[in-house]
Amino acid sequence: MLTSELRNNVLVVRVAEKRVDASKAPAFKDEMTQCIESGQSQLVLDLSNVDFVDSSGLGAIVACLKQLGPRGNLAIAGAKGAVSRLFTLTRMDKVFALHDTVDSAVEKLSS
Amino acid sequence: MISSIDLFIDSDLDKVVQIALAVRGLCTGLVSEDDLDAVELSVVEAINNVIKHGYGGQPGRDIRVLVGLHKEQVVIEIVDHAPPMQADLLNQASEERFAFDETNLADIPEGGMGLALIRMNMDEVEYSSSEGENRLRMIKRIGPRPS
Repeated sequence: MLTSELRNNVLVVRVAEKRVDASKAPAFKDEMTQCIESGQSQLVLDLSNVDFVDSSGLGAIVACLKQLGPRGNLAIAGAKGAVSRLFTLTRMDKVFALHDTVDSAVEKLSS
Repeated sequence: MISSIDLFIDSDLDKVVQIALAVRGLCTGLVSEDDLDAVELSVVEAINNVIKHGYGGQPGRDIRVLVGLHKEQVVIEIVDHAPPMQADLLNQASEERFAFDETNLADIPEGGMGLALIRMNMDEVEYSSSEGENRLRMIKRIGPRPS
């Protein structure tokens, strides 16, 4: 469900699924864990293709942030509509840096 | 009442999307886009809770979703036959769940957010359990239409 590419030492992980919900959260977490265990500590999660995230999906994203630890960064790019609203409602917009585009997120993390 | 629709699925997380999109479709045109998002999220969280916590992830159990479309409100009831939820869990759930210290990684919640989200997204939420049947009743009031 994820594709990734390295840009300026930042790993951009794109979610191909339209929904990150309770049925998809375990697979999402497993694939993200592989990215993190490969040694990447600066990550951008591209949610521009995603229409819906529930609390299980959000919990999986938080779990990835915790796995990265204080020395890593996980920025969110392209969250819109219901997805952006969920981050605001749960105050996760204070936890994750939300960027409109992957380009701006990569620029910030690689600077 | 304008109409009343009865939906059924079995307790399979992969099938929740079908009900979520069906309910969203039924409410389209009645409530705002933001309220559609709120209703969809609440329905998903409620059914996920039944499947994961009520039925313990066991497939093949029944979940019924009743959607009542009224002139002034949308009423959604999730009915199941799992062991009932602890009575005070819903009342304790609130936006306080998200009053975490964002500077402390360990304090940021990974779970236990569903009921709080339902309370925050719907105008009224009630839970009752009687004779082996549990019913979560959620109401979204229909605001004035934009002219």
